[in-house]
Amino acid sequence: MSAVPWIRLDNGLEVIARPNGAARSIAVQLVLEAGAAFDPAEKEGTAALVASLLDRGAGSLSAAAIAGFFDDLGVAYAAEAHRDTLDIRLRLLSDHLPGVLERLRLIVAEPTFPGTEVGRQKGQLLTTIAERDQDTAAVSEMGLQEALFPPGHPYRHPRLGTRDSVSRIERADLVAFHRHRFRSSGAIVSMAGDFDPARALALAASILGTWNGGADGPARGARGTAGTAPGPAARASIPDPPAPDRTIVVVKPIDGKTQADIALGFRGPRRLSPDLPASLVLNSILGEFSLGGRLGKVIRERAGLAYYVYSRFSAGLGPGPFVARAGVAPDRVRRALDLMRRTIEQIVRRGVTPGELRDSKQALAASVPRSMETNPEAAAILADAEFYGLGIDYPWRLAEMIRAVTRRDVEEAARKYLTPRSCVLVVAGPELEKETLA
Amino acid sequence: MTARTRRGDIVVTRLPNGLTVILREMRQAPVVSVWCWYRVGSRDERPGITGISHWVEHMNFKGTRRIHKEDVTRQVELAGGTWNGYTWLDVTAYFETVQSDAFEEMLRLEASRMTECLYSQNEVEHERTVVISELQGGENDPRSYLEKEVTGTALQAHPYRWPTIGYLSDLRAITRDDLYGHYRRYYVPNNGILVATGDFETAAALRLVRRHFGGIRRGEDPPPVRTIEPPQSGERRLTIRRPSGAVYLEFAFHAPAASEQEFAVFLVADGILAGGPTVNLWSGQDGRGPSKTSRLYRSLIEGDLASQVSTLLVPTRHPYLYRVGVTVNEGVDPGRIEETLTAEIGRLAQGDIEERDLTRAKNQFLARHALESESTTDAAHQLGFFETVAVHRLFLDLPRRVRAVTAGEVATLARARLDGDRRTVGVLFPSGPQPAPAAPGGHGVSRP
Repeated sequence: MSAVPWIRLDNGLEVIARPNGAARSIAVQLVLEAGAAFDPAEKEGTAALVASLLDRGAGSLSAAAIAGFFDDLGVAYAAEAHRDTLDIRLRLLSDHLPGVLERLRLIVAEPTFPGTEVGRQKGQLLTTIAERDQDTAAVSEMGLQEALFPPGHPYRHPRLGTRDSVSRIERADLVAFHRHRFRSSGAIVSMAGDFDPARALALAASILGTWNGGADGPARGARGTAGTAPGPAARASIPDPPAPDRTIVVVKPIDGKTQADIALGFRGPRRLSPDLPASLVLNSILGEFSLGGRLGKVIRERAGLAYYVYSRFSAGLGPGPFVARAGVAPDRVRRALDLMRRTIEQIVRRGVTPGELRDSKQALAASVPRSMETNPEAAAILADAEFYGLGIDYPWRLAEMIRAVTRRDVEEAARKYLTPRSCVLVVAGPELEKETLA
Repeated sequence: MTARTRRGDIVVTRLPNGLTVILREMRQAPVVSVWCWYRVGSRDERPGITGISHWVEHMNFKGTRRIHKEDVTRQVELAGGTWNGYTWLDVTAYFETVQSDAFEEMLRLEASRMTECLYSQNEVEHERTVVISELQGGENDPRSYLEKEVTGTALQAHPYRWPTIGYLSDLRAITRDDLYGHYRRYYVPNNGILVATGDFETAAALRLVRRHFGGIRRGEDPPPVRTIEPPQSGERRLTIRRPSGAVYLEFAFHAPAASEQEFAVFLVADGILAGGPTVNLWSGQDGRGPSKTSRLYRSLIEGDLASQVSTLLVPTRHPYLYRVGVTVNEGVDPGRIEETLTAEIGRLAQGDIEERDLTRAKNQFLARHALESESTTDAAHQLGFFETVAVHRLFLDLPRRVRAVTAGEVATLARARLDGDRRTVGVLFPSGPQPAPAAPGGHGVSRP
């Protein structure tokens, strides 16, 4: 296992620096607990809008000055709101780290949200929402969230908001969201690439240490390497939604499309669930390994029904959906759905085979070194592990935990999460009749 | 005899059977990336068999005489690996990036794929509906629909004009023998390029490559593409109506082949207009839009005319297209977008280019060029991709070519290639029933 140096600054910000001598570049990722789950009620889309505005004016710098700095040096900048987190990602050639960290501090600590830019970004977001509402995959995903999570639940609303909710967002809402959610304490800056880690940490400390968005941590310049990972930051609590007590069928008609999207969803695990490693193995067997696991074998390989069919779950601070997905011709929805349900029922009733278990465990555990090969991947994986309080050494421990998963663990996870009698079925596409799906 | 050249840490060998082998040691992680390329793509098709190259790619995951269908991908994943394949205008490629101790197994897989895939009638029929499903999924997206229509209008003769996925009627009609014949004609060592990068010792790696590929018999050289697109004289326009959440506009111009000197000038011109294209077709889409200092961002996005603008300049063996795609803001007349694009191109043509514009465009390209070839997978991709569309050295040489570009060359290119008489303009308007309101609570929720 590689040692990964880190430091926690007086303002509570945690900085990770994983060196990669073979690279000529650096990836930086800043992660905040400021995702769409924390959008104010009725103003869903706030986090997404804040993300799009961060570099459009910060401190004394205009949008043009910030963009000019990045573009002159060929720095790639992106900010995006996900469900739990808001991430800022940068890729740069090695020489530019000091200047980039200076801009990063301004962008995260002092965005100015200029009025004209707010209007412009709102308009862009509304166009993106109009496009999304014609996209069968996105619409089925939203239908799933609506049905799995009750009104008021942080995971219910779509990440970008709706036409109505975005129309209601004012500049003051963005400023307030920034004030409440952009705290140095609990935020993580993860760097990977071509640097001396001690120097990179010192540089980050001198620049980002002055970001003072809620210094409340007692740790004064704690430092170490992976293995003596910093203690987890306190995170927001996301409640469990009630489990559906029956199968809920949702049909979202979108005319003029050539293909329908199916989402068959369940309430999945949280990121910190003890059965997370078993759930990874279960998901691999069901809908990932090789060409989409058992689902791929049955629906794509044997029946030729779909180009894409797979399962995945998105465990966060709260329990995200565990979902099986497929895109099929409108006249084949019924058949694909029957096969998807039957495949899931079989895994719940009859369990998994020793061969499947061995293959999926091996594939998942062995993929760890490759999954961290590039600087952006390494920075993202370490930031993610630290955000959820799993520790910087988590990627390496996870491989061990996966190797320790038993057949019984997987079958228990299947019974716990894949509950065919209480699930949500969403189909988005053309020419659909609900009666045929129930 | 085998020819062999060495440049930096890249070793290029030609086996007696014609297979080009490109090896590059990269010791940053205990992984290797193996890519097997074939010089075959949709350009090698004709109406009646469009989409066949891509379908052949699918069939080549369905087992060989020595490797069971399930093991084709299974053995890659057991080695902690990732795999995929893709088909494009000029190329079909397969890759595996795995733990380095599985290197030889991947060579065995690719050698077997080159020579002995099965093509059972049953598998052909199953894959027919899978490929049709892939086509229908693509047509769900109005933007890709417009792109396909614009391509077919801008190009009237060259086989780049039809979509790589093929036409539905052809996908319904292609037979097992069509597929197998296409496979045997193009999957010969003298039409292939084997690229490996990563954690290996070059001499040992070359011995392994010879062991697995050296015994494969050379085939006939596949026929070259003969058609040259005749010059366009006069604007072409098309209007599409499809269900859509927005109005889309696309401009297409004729672009030079990757090997032409002008290609580097085009990279810089696009850099000034939009921040520069990726030259890594596989992984270059890193989520950034046009750069925010670029002229099209400033005039279209900051001018409140459009919510998105993207450009595409792809390295190809024969001349292809340069595209500018725009998502039009609600209530904006697409005519205003056209005027703005025409004005921005006019500025380039008049030589309204400052030193800073030029430097910025070049720096952005140089950073991308480095970042997009840093991982073992990306490095192998770039070497193989450029070898198929030109020669791998072109990829290494592009930074020098780009640095040498002058403002005068950009202006000359804009006058010659981005002229109104040489463009195709497509607009897609939303049709049919408008999207249902997306209010919370939505429609259609029921509990049977």
